[in-house]
Amino acid sequence: MMTPLPFRQPWLALVVGSLAVQAIAFSQQPRPKDKEPGTAIADPFRPEPGRFPPLDQALAYRGELVFVDHANRRGSVRIPGEGTYFRNAPHPFALLPYAVVRYHGAPADLRDIPLGTLLHIRGYLPPDPATSAVPVLPVDNKNKTAGYSGKGVAPAENHLLLLEDEPSHCLREGLIWKLKEVEAKNREGLLTASCEPKQGPTAKAAGEKFTFDAATRFWRGRESLGIDELIAEGLWPAEGKKALGDQPIRLGITWKPTPDGIFTRFHVSDIWLDDVSMQRAAQQQTETHKAYIRSRWMPAWIDGVEYGKFGRATVTATLFGGMDDSLYADFKKGGSAVINGAENTLKHTGGAYGPAHMASKGTLTEVTGPAGTPPLGSSGIQIRFETDLIVEGIRSGRVVRIRPNGWPLVNLPREEYIGDGSDPRDRFPTPDIFPKY
Amino acid sequence: MNLCLVSRSVFLVLTFACTLVVPARAADEPGNKTKEQGTRAAEPFRPEPGKFPPLDKAHAYRGELVFVDHANRRGSLRVQGSGVFRRNDPNPFALLPYGMVRYHGAPADLRDIPLGTVMHVLAFLPPDPKTSPVPVLPVNSKEIDASHYRGVGIFPAENHVLLLEDEPSHCQRLGLIWKLHTVEVKEQEGMITSTRMPKQGGNPKPSVETMTFDASTRFWRGREVLNLDDLTAEGTWPTAGKKALGDQTVLLGITWKPTPEGVFTRFHVSDLWFDDASIQRAGKIQAETHKAFIRSRWMPAWVDSVEYGKFGRATVTATLFGGMDESLYADFKKDVPAMMNAAENTLKHAGGHYGPAQLASNGSLTGVTRAAADLLSGGSGIQIRFETDLIIEGLRPGRVVRLRPANWPLVEPPREEYLGFYFSAEDRFPKPDIFPPKRDPY
Repeated sequence: MMTPLPFRQPWLALVVGSLAVQAIAFSQQPRPKDKEPGTAIADPFRPEPGRFPPLDQALAYRGELVFVDHANRRGSVRIPGEGTYFRNAPHPFALLPYAVVRYHGAPADLRDIPLGTLLHIRGYLPPDPATSAVPVLPVDNKNKTAGYSGKGVAPAENHLLLLEDEPSHCLREGLIWKLKEVEAKNREGLLTASCEPKQGPTAKAAGEKFTFDAATRFWRGRESLGIDELIAEGLWPAEGKKALGDQPIRLGITWKPTPDGIFTRFHVSDIWLDDVSMQRAAQQQTETHKAYIRSRWMPAWIDGVEYGKFGRATVTATLFGGMDDSLYADFKKGGSAVINGAENTLKHTGGAYGPAHMASKGTLTEVTGPAGTPPLGSSGIQIRFETDLIVEGIRSGRVVRIRPNGWPLVNLPREEYIGDGSDPRDRFPTPDIFPKY
Repeated sequence: MNLCLVSRSVFLVLTFACTLVVPARAADEPGNKTKEQGTRAAEPFRPEPGKFPPLDKAHAYRGELVFVDHANRRGSLRVQGSGVFRRNDPNPFALLPYGMVRYHGAPADLRDIPLGTVMHVLAFLPPDPKTSPVPVLPVNSKEIDASHYRGVGIFPAENHVLLLEDEPSHCQRLGLIWKLHTVEVKEQEGMITSTRMPKQGGNPKPSVETMTFDASTRFWRGREVLNLDDLTAEGTWPTAGKKALGDQTVLLGITWKPTPEGVFTRFHVSDLWFDDASIQRAGKIQAETHKAFIRSRWMPAWVDSVEYGKFGRATVTATLFGGMDESLYADFKKDVPAMMNAAENTLKHAGGHYGPAQLASNGSLTGVTRAAADLLSGGSGIQIRFETDLIIEGLRPGRVVRLRPANWPLVEPPREEYLGFYFSAEDRFPKPDIFPPKRDPY
C-alpha cells in the first residue's frame, strides 16, 4: 500500500496556503445557501407519513450528479463544501416518493439528467431510517468537517423533495445569469457571470468564474452552436478578453477537474442565449416527461379508504405534484381509471403482465382542487375513486399509481416493477450498493 | 400475488400465441446479428492478458443502456433477444480496459451515454472470472432460453465489452444509412418505417423496421434542432395521417419505450439527423467532450515491457489504447516530457488524493512508433518508450497505466476515479454485488 507524501509536489504547499483565500472567495459566490428558504434551519427535519413536509424546513444545497440508480429513484451527488471539491466523495441520496425533479425548466425523471450536471437540492432526514435506501447518517452530519473537503459535504438530509438543474432553479426563483466577461484561448477559457433577480434593480452581485471549452453548446432560437461559430460571428473573441455587458443568459452547469489548485470552479456545458431557445429545451423535456408519466401512471398517495361490501371501496387520493398541467387535466369526474399499489420507489407491484393486470378498476367519482398553493410535492388535486375490487396496497398512507382512461396501456421494463414481491430487497432496496470511501 | 383472473389473462394467451410469429420476424430485422464481424463466433472467447483479442471472436449483440457505474466502467444493458423485450432483466457488462465507447460517431466515456440509448456491443468472456466486476455466467449462456417468453440471447456470458456504440456510430463505422419509407402521425406521435442499408447501395436483404417517435423526438438539420411541430408547420411531415418519405436518407438515434399492443420489441426514435452537417456537428461536440476528458484523466495504455536500470531508473515500453481522437495521439512525441501512473483495469488511477501526478513516474518519451491498427483492435498501434529515473510499483508488464504528455493539464480527478492511499481490495476489484440478482419476470 502506498503511503501519503503530502508535500512531495511544491504546488501542494501553494494549495494548502491558498486555503484561506479560496474559502473566502467561495463564500462570496452567489450560492443558494445564503438566499433561499430552508437554508437557515436550525434543526434537521424528518418528514412524517401522510404529510408533505414544509419547504422551509428543508436543507438547501447543491451537488453534481455522479451516480444514478433511476429504477430505485436514488443516486449520488458531489456536494461543494468549504474545501477541495474534487476530494468530496459522492454522497448518496434518495428521492422522496413525492419528490419533484426538474431539468431544463420542465418536469423530469432522474434518468433524464446527464451525469455531471450540477443540481440544486432540498433535502430532509430519512422519513424512516429503518427502510432508507441510502446510508443513514448522524443528524448533525452537515456540520461535520471532513478533512480538506471541509464542512457540509455529507448532510444527513439525503431524502430529497426537490432536485433541479441550474436553468430550472433560475426559472423557478426568477433569477438570471448576466455575462460580464469572457476570456478565451485555444477554444476554451473562463467566463465571469453573476446570478441576479430577473426583475428589479441590478444588485452588485459578485461575479462567479466558470470554465468553458470547445464542447460547450450555445443555444439560440432553433440553433445549436459551437464556440467556433460564436468566434466567427464576432460575438466571442478567438483569443483574449471581451466584456459582454451583462448579457442575460441561462447556464447549464457541470464540473470538470480544475487546474491551478482551485478548490471549486464549475464548468458551463450549455448557454441559452435567448428565451426562445430555453423554451424549446423545456418543451422537449416536458414532452419526454409527459410520455414517461403516461406510461408509468400518475403517482399519488392514499388519504382514505371507505370499504363497502364484496370488495367494493371508495378511495381518496392526492396526486403528487410537479407534473405538466395537461397530465392532471386527464383526471376528470366520471372518467374511468385504474389504481395499482406501488412502493416508495414508485415501482409498481405485480407487473409481469403490465401494471393493469393486478390494478383496481373503477371510476373517478370526484376530482377537486387545487385550492390555494399546494405544498411542493403535492398537486393539491384530490380524487375519489370507486372500485368493485379493492386490491392490497391501496391503504391509507400508501403510495399508488393511477391511470386515467386514455393513457396508453403498456407493460413496463423488468426493473420498474416488483414482481411477486418474494424478495424484500425489491420493495426496500438496501443501501449496500454505495461504496464507502 | 398469484391471483390469475381469467379475464385478465386474455392478454397472456395472445402474447403466448405471438411467440410463434414474432421471433421469425425479429430475426429478419436489420440488427447486426447476422451481419457483423464476431457474430458467427462459434465458441465463446476469453481474452488473454497482454493481447488485444481478435475481433472475429467477439460476440455481437444490441441492448438498451439501463444502468451505468461509470467510475468502475460497468453498467447494464437490456439485451435484445427473440422474445418479449421488456421482460429482459438488465444484463451487467464491464468495459475491458481497452474497451471503446462511441457516441454520435465520436469517442465517448460511459458517462456520456444517456440512459435508454440502444447500443451495439462487441464482447468477450471475462478475461479473469475471479476478478470480474460483473456476474460471471455459464459460457453458453447466450444459447439458453431464458424462459417466460424472453427467448435466447438475452444473458450472454460475453459481458466484457470491447466496443459499445450507439446507432449513429454503428452506422457511420459500417457505412450504413437509414432510409425513411413512410411516416404516420396521430396526436403528435406516430411511427416511421425505415430500412438500414449500405450508404453506397446494394443490400441483399433489406428489411423494413417500424419505430415509434413522439413530440420529444429531436430532428437535427444543419445547425438547427427541430421538433415535430416545426416539421409539420413546414409541411415536411404530416400533422395527421400517413405520408411517403421517398427513401430519404437519415441517421437515427434509437432508444426504447414501453410499447402498446403486446409488441415484443419495437424501438423508439429519440433523434433524427437529416443531413451530414448535423451529425458531424454532434460528433464534433462529443469528440471535444472526450478530448477534454482524456486530457484530464490521461491516456490509458498497457505496459509491454520494462528494462530496469540502476538506482530506480527504467525504460518502459507501452502500447496506447485505441479509439481516441487523433489529436490526442499526436501529443505523444519523441523527447516530450511525460508522466506515467499505475492504474487498474477500471482505468482508475492509483494514489490520487493529491492528483495522479503526485505518485506518477516522471520521465520523457524516448521513442514513439506507430504501426497500422484496426479501429477495433483495442490498441492504437502506437507504442511509446518512456525513460524514468524513479520507476514506481504498478508499472509492470501486462499492467494498465495512464500517461500524460507534458502539455496536458495538471488536474485532480474526482474522488471516485482514483484509489486513494488506503484503498481496499474492493476498490481495485469492484464486486459484482451491486447488481440485483436475475429473477423471473413474475
